[in-house]
Amino acid sequence: MFNTFLVQTVKELKEFRRDRLSVALAFLLPLFSLLLLGFGIRLESKSIPVVVRDSDNTSLSREYIARLYATNMFVPADADPKESLTRAIDRGEAKVAVEIPKGFTGKVFTGSVSPFKVYIDGTDISNVQVLTNSIEAANLYFLSVLHQTRQPDAQLSPVVPETRLWFNPGREERLFIVPGAFAIVLWMYPALLAAVAASREKEQGTMIRVYASNPNPLSFLLGKAAPYFMISLVMAIMVMTVGAIIFNVFPVGDPTPLIVSTPLYVLVSVLFGLMLGTYAGSQTTAVQATSSIGFFPCLLLSGFVYPISNIPFPLNLFAIVVPGKYFIELTRDAFVRGTGWSAVWYVPVVLILFCIVELGLSCMALRRMQEKD
Amino acid sequence: MTNTMTQPKTRSNTDENVVTVHALVKRYKKGAEALKGLDLDIKKGDLYGLVGPDGAGKTTALRILAGVMEPTSGDTKILGKRPSEARSLIGYVPQNCALYPELSVEENLLYQAGLHGVNFEDIEKLKETHLEKMGLLRFQDRLASKLSGGMKQKLALCCALVGKPKLILLDEPTTGLDPIARRELWQALSTLSHEGVTAIIATPFLDEAERCNRIALMYEGKIQLEGPPRDLQEALGMRRLTFQIKTQEKLNEAPAIVQELSLDSVKDIYPFGDRLEVLSSEKEDAEGQIRQQLNDAGLELSEGRESTPTLENVFVIKLKELESEKAATTVEFPHWKNQSSKSGPEPGVAALKARNLVKTFDDFRAVDDVSLEIKYGEIFGLLGANGAGKTTTIKMLCGLAKPTDGEVELVGEKTDLRKVSVRKDIGYMSQKFSLYDDLTVRENLNFYAGIYEIPLKLRKQQIEWVIKACNLQSIENSIVKSLPLGWKQRIAFGAAVMHDPKIIFLDEPTAGVDPLARRQLWTLIRDFAANGAAILVTTHYLDEAEFCNRLAFMADSRVIASGTPSEIKADHKGKLFEVNPRDTQNAFRTLSEALDHWRVAIFGSSLHVLLDDENDSERVKSILSSAGEKPELRSIDFTLEDAFIDVVQRSHRANDGKDRMQMQTSGDEPVSQKSQGGDS
Repeated sequence: MFNTFLVQTVKELKEFRRDRLSVALAFLLPLFSLLLLGFGIRLESKSIPVVVRDSDNTSLSREYIARLYATNMFVPADADPKESLTRAIDRGEAKVAVEIPKGFTGKVFTGSVSPFKVYIDGTDISNVQVLTNSIEAANLYFLSVLHQTRQPDAQLSPVVPETRLWFNPGREERLFIVPGAFAIVLWMYPALLAAVAASREKEQGTMIRVYASNPNPLSFLLGKAAPYFMISLVMAIMVMTVGAIIFNVFPVGDPTPLIVSTPLYVLVSVLFGLMLGTYAGSQTTAVQATSSIGFFPCLLLSGFVYPISNIPFPLNLFAIVVPGKYFIELTRDAFVRGTGWSAVWYVPVVLILFCIVELGLSCMALRRMQEKD
Repeated sequence: MTNTMTQPKTRSNTDENVVTVHALVKRYKKGAEALKGLDLDIKKGDLYGLVGPDGAGKTTALRILAGVMEPTSGDTKILGKRPSEARSLIGYVPQNCALYPELSVEENLLYQAGLHGVNFEDIEKLKETHLEKMGLLRFQDRLASKLSGGMKQKLALCCALVGKPKLILLDEPTTGLDPIARRELWQALSTLSHEGVTAIIATPFLDEAERCNRIALMYEGKIQLEGPPRDLQEALGMRRLTFQIKTQEKLNEAPAIVQELSLDSVKDIYPFGDRLEVLSSEKEDAEGQIRQQLNDAGLELSEGRESTPTLENVFVIKLKELESEKAATTVEFPHWKNQSSKSGPEPGVAALKARNLVKTFDDFRAVDDVSLEIKYGEIFGLLGANGAGKTTTIKMLCGLAKPTDGEVELVGEKTDLRKVSVRKDIGYMSQKFSLYDDLTVRENLNFYAGIYEIPLKLRKQQIEWVIKACNLQSIENSIVKSLPLGWKQRIAFGAAVMHDPKIIFLDEPTAGVDPLARRQLWTLIRDFAANGAAILVTTHYLDEAEFCNRLAFMADSRVIASGTPSEIKADHKGKLFEVNPRDTQNAFRTLSEALDHWRVAIFGSSLHVLLDDENDSERVKSILSSAGEKPELRSIDFTLEDAFIDVVQRSHRANDGKDRMQMQTSGDEPVSQKSQGGDS
């Protein structure tokens, strides 16, 4: 039994060493993906082209425009403000168009409602909210500045909601994205490695001989998982180190939840690939299954990009069976929040449950060590 | 090595069944019934051949015996246990060897040893014995993917033996091997069986099944005939009459001429490349009458011969009973090209001439001074071991590779062999058949009709012809992937000749196909030759080479012998003798130590001994009697296989050192016939 485990592990390591695809999957592609995710995903908008038509043309309206740009969120678009504002948006020259009507100044000082038109390009759904917020933020900022400098005694006192961002005061996206990217990368590649290794046996026809030699299914599976578990641990250390150096993301607070959960998470991933590999008939099927069943749900349903609360019922229920969801909760705590065990105690427990289920299902596939009809 | 080897075989008096199978049925989920009630009784030490065409159920039967597949119903016992519980007693070699290509010879063996729970201390010893025995010890660091076919099979056998099994199961171990590698493998198996290991070998090749001591002919999931090969041959109650025909042009008419006699005793008439074989239940009368008839028709005969039927005869007769002559129809090929414009090829004119061809890769000479000439209407066989240079030669001949030196003339064209008009005159069928798996038969044919630019008007007619001539009516709308190899081969042949080429290149067209399918293909090939096409066939199945009009043997990049099959067989300085010893293994060892080891080969329970002249037979007799055997030798005819191995060995000895180096650097095994018991 232990013998089977050992020869299997030794054999897999030797095969791994000689298979360039596997070596690339283990060491090059994870780094590439980390960089891609770390640099490529940007949720906040900067330098939004805006076209402004100032029909009021007073010092106050010009100051308002200056304030708009001072938020660092908007840049003047190339469009000619004399033309129709909507055309600038139609042509894609501007994302936002602002029209300041005549009498703007007067209305501001009388304290009555001062309407002005804002057009926002709605094709970019993800930006609409951001843009609306940005304009509102600029407004409030303008009003508050106005309040302080020009009319300290005026009755007018616009409500200025003051939001403070906890944990990520600079609102730095890397702190949001990079810990999540660890979870994605460490989900994808260990699973792929194991799926390729397990399905290769079938594809090259060696599986039938393994059946014929009658090893214990559990020690066979564990023997296959062990080398890829080790390789994936190296991968995890490598990815997190490179992540720390390039993106300046370091663990905060108690590191033990991370140290305990990372091996478990990687093991869940390896066993997931192994399970798909034992069920799939060919390497292609195994790789495709790993990407579509494994990768996409992890990317979309784990809260990596979109909060799970935004996902509609009943799709959000699927998130429960996405191991990445739990690990992202853990990495965000470990790298950003730093609360420690009290916040993430359940993560290792859930990961162990995943391991048991996956191993059980894989053993089911191999329980008779026989060809399927 | 081990002393088990010297034990004489004690098969006759053991009643111990190693394998007992009763009414075994296997129905796949998709509905196909692979086994329809199989019964087997296999005794200890049997070298048991499971022979049959593709789809007969051989692989399924072996898988069930190996315990890796569950039967639908029936009883299977291996040494009294269910197969899945007897796995530790079984060594199983699946069809593709099931080796890990990225692992070395040694690592493959060690892995299997580990899976079989062999102790780590024993592993060194195991490595020594098994790899040494198979002559693989000095290749132990080579990756399995870099081994030649023969070495792969031997390694696979080593891996199966590592758990000291009582029973070994081999699934078509010789498919794709050259004659020398095949002979070595069979000798290894023979040695094992004499050591008391029971072996079941599935094979589609009847000539090699004669080396088993018992065989079962399988067909459509059932055993049709069972017994020792010789009993089966005798039970047929027929004689094989051979008529050597000198007037080659009329050879194709010969079967029809004999048919006209409508003799009751004649059961089968079959033309070979230079002779006609008739299977008859009666000898004297039939022989005289046929000879007379052929003479009257203007065919010149040289001396005839009479011999026991081969297993192939037995099988074909049985299959004919079962299939009731389903493939007897021949369909005239619509030669659209010849009717239209160009003058048709004249028989006797050379379609292909190659002079002093040389091809060098870096400093390795893959082809060395090869000259060939193939006439229209001729079937020319190019034979050789793996790595002898056949494929490179064929590539140069059809213009796919540029010769380093020498000249090729193809349908009159010397300079540009790849020009469109030349290409349209060439048909090429590769070993892998190049059919599209996910298309139907008809779609494949349509595609090739388009590729070869058959005029639209004629396409339908040509496709209809292929479907009829190759007997594909029942499957024309089936997806190719699901068809057995024999069918695929006929479709591929049809696709290659649909455009009515003048020269047809067939690269190992029959690898892994059963005798009846092979006959059908050869009938087609002969029809084409009769219609004037020149045909070049490469093969390493030597029985098949008998169908060719002329042959060339290649070894070490050169043509080392050529001529008609009969000429090649006759052109031997040596004499071949058969010995029927009591203890085959012992006699084999004694003889191969006393003579050069390559002179002795095991064929089933008998030995073939090659001697330089008759006088040496006295020496062999004295060796035999000193080994406690009856000093009896029977002079027999050379088979092409004997001839081939003899020619290759002589060529090796002529320039020994250099060639061996070359063979090894080209990734091939040395051709030494390592005697398995030679070093004890």
